[in-house]
Amino acid sequence: MPAISLENIKKAFGETHALAGASLHAEMGEIHAIVGENGSGKSTLAKVISGVVLPDSGSIDIMGHCPTEPAEAIAAGISTIYQEIMVAEDLSVWENVFAGSDSFWRRSMTTAEKKSLARETLKRLALTDIEPDTPVAALPLNIKQWIVIARAILQKPRLLIFDESSAALDLDATNRLHKEMLSLKEAGSCVMLVTHRIAELVKITDSATVLRDGETVGRLEKADITEENLLRLMSADSRHLATAKREKNVISIEQKPALEACGVRLSDHSDPIDFKLYPGEIVGVAGLDGAGHDRFVSILAGIRRPKEGSVQVWQGSTDSHTIDSLAAADGAGITYVSGDRKKEGIFPNLSIIENFAIALYGRYSRRGWIDRKGLNELFRSEEERLSIKYASKSDRITTLSGGNQQKVLIARAFAASPKVIILNDPARGVDIGTKQDLYAHLRRFASNGGAVIYLSSEIEEFFNFADRAEVFFEGGLFASLEQSEISEENLLSAMFGKAQPVVFDEDTVSEGAA
Amino acid sequence: MGRFAPNLGHLLVPVCLVLVLGIMAAVRAPQTFTYVGLAGALLVAAPLILAAVAITPIAIAGRGGVDLSIGPLIGFVNVTIVVWLAENGITNPVFVFAYAIAAACVWQVLLACFIIYVRISPIIATLAGFMILQGVNLVILSRPGGFAPEWLSDWGWGTELLSPVLYILIAAFVIWFLFQRTAVFQHIRLMGADERTAYTAGVDIVKARFAAHLIAGVFAGLAALCLTGLIGSGDPTQGNTLTLQAITALVLGGTSLAGGKGGITGSVLGAIAMYLVFVVLSSFNFGAISGFMTQLFYGLMLVISLMLALLANKNRLQPA
Repeated sequence: MPAISLENIKKAFGETHALAGASLHAEMGEIHAIVGENGSGKSTLAKVISGVVLPDSGSIDIMGHCPTEPAEAIAAGISTIYQEIMVAEDLSVWENVFAGSDSFWRRSMTTAEKKSLARETLKRLALTDIEPDTPVAALPLNIKQWIVIARAILQKPRLLIFDESSAALDLDATNRLHKEMLSLKEAGSCVMLVTHRIAELVKITDSATVLRDGETVGRLEKADITEENLLRLMSADSRHLATAKREKNVISIEQKPALEACGVRLSDHSDPIDFKLYPGEIVGVAGLDGAGHDRFVSILAGIRRPKEGSVQVWQGSTDSHTIDSLAAADGAGITYVSGDRKKEGIFPNLSIIENFAIALYGRYSRRGWIDRKGLNELFRSEEERLSIKYASKSDRITTLSGGNQQKVLIARAFAASPKVIILNDPARGVDIGTKQDLYAHLRRFASNGGAVIYLSSEIEEFFNFADRAEVFFEGGLFASLEQSEISEENLLSAMFGKAQPVVFDEDTVSEGAA
Repeated sequence: MGRFAPNLGHLLVPVCLVLVLGIMAAVRAPQTFTYVGLAGALLVAAPLILAAVAITPIAIAGRGGVDLSIGPLIGFVNVTIVVWLAENGITNPVFVFAYAIAAACVWQVLLACFIIYVRISPIIATLAGFMILQGVNLVILSRPGGFAPEWLSDWGWGTELLSPVLYILIAAFVIWFLFQRTAVFQHIRLMGADERTAYTAGVDIVKARFAAHLIAGVFAGLAALCLTGLIGSGDPTQGNTLTLQAITALVLGGTSLAGGKGGITGSVLGAIAMYLVFVVLSSFNFGAISGFMTQLFYGLMLVISLMLALLANKNRLQPA
């Protein structure tokens, strides 16, 4: 009996096409996996099934339903564990476990029953005894994850969707979870697993749908689900975005690194990381969601403090400073540009020029008066170099396209004349032309002795651009690839925690995709 | 009461506040704690207590939901009971009760519609409501006057402790206590604490918000009856001051305007604390400026109690 049948689902958020023709079929009584890289649309597809995201087009049949809001999905027996951990921090454990379990007027069971059932369930799942009256805010992340899992399992779903693409569970916990999934499967329910932990998924899934750039590129049955097949389907045709090949800078032995991380630990369990960045280098940083790569760059930028270890900058050959705060990073000439413009970059209510100048007022003022002329000149020169397109610089920054907003932020970073520039996925949602401008600009910066750290969620960005790529996996630095080794196969394998790159056979790729 | 134990922390400051002010009042104005004194106190404090209770579920429902229109709403019900009902000879108690509660509920449903469907933030929607009702009240009755139904103005003698005002307060507590045990209340709390979690967990957040406003309407109607009983006539402006006082009482009582936290016990304690401040200050001879002194002390009390609550919470969270 078919549980889910999705045909040609399309969904765009503004200009980003999250889903561009995704299809999926799963049967009752099986565990089905949705696999794909970051941003391939797997979480969006899961949200379509649970009724949170309404698709622009396509046909949906989930056990005879087409839910348009979560309440409807839950009533139809579809329970979802979202990528974001949905808990009300101020409420107690039992209230969170039984969130939404009551009908609007009638309670499903008494409070005492709920408390004891919440306690029992969490004891079984998380192997810890938690007082059900504890406020959730006081609990660690993995317990919060178990709370939402308990909520979903207690709904006794006929279809359970588990988006674990950034789940906060360790290996042992994952095994316990798999046991729960298998018992649901025994009971005839369907389990959908959204994941990128392919090693574990190979063990328990019966079928898998592979997504790439919002499209379904293949469906694998039990016998065909191997790490090799999955990786092969996931990897796109190499689109070489960066144009001219870049000559690698020769780093002399006596040269001091511009930035150095010694024994940095991202969490209690991860291995310490040593990292050196030399002037003139462009280093790419990659990893799957939750691999810790984003945490690592924010430590380098002085935004977060490491659990252990330190970050240092060298000024001259003997003088070193520790970076332990944003102020220290700023003083040492490290600037940070975030790709999450809305959250960490722009001031949406301010103008273009104000957004550009906001970090420079300190430098461009005399006795408290802002040097407008100086700032305007600086803006003009940066704007030309980056070719920012705008009508009037006193317009609100939100009147610009995403790419041009990003350019203003990058102009802001460059205007501070930094020694090291750290970019966190700056090309997210940016068109190819802007990307090319950005690459050219960063290259120029590097050949003038600057150092660049470039985190990207699109590995194609590193080709012919990065001198080195640092790949993170499960909270640690997993592999460090030299320029000659940077290829789709190597990067992807390392991101999925495979030391040996998968050997690609072009014939089977097209076969699998068909 | 074991099941409420972990949530009692926010009541620590208001309880202390009431105790301290109660002792001061007992010293400065011992007549407050006589039989007649308490009966009068109950009568005078009832509208504020009920107004504070009314805005509590709306605050719990989240989105920074603070009902600024509560004062003029109580005023509206007051003037319409006098002008529309009493002047036309409609004085049947059952009908007047039903009218007061229904009128307040209709207004709350209107507010909820604006907040839910027009997506106006509660503070703006209720600010607009505040100004509209203020005007409407003056149109209906341009200056204080008229007569409340006789049975209602008899409440205003305030010489008996076991009066209808006390029964209304008890009824309000019972209603709240029962309401608190319903699934609807859980939905409102969850929505106030985290609307996204509530939505994805399958809570009908539209119905839950309507429910919060409806229960608020019930209490607002009761508050208006108590106010009408207290003044025995219609007053188009008397209710307005209740808005800021009720919000002060709510915050004093530890209910978070961010939503999801609190209950009416805190709001009631807050309202009692405010009444006690009034009593204590009245015992000093401030003459013409006594009204200003009361305002000043309300403000100081608010700041101090929020600071104390912050300290109390810090100490509670640190060992965890």
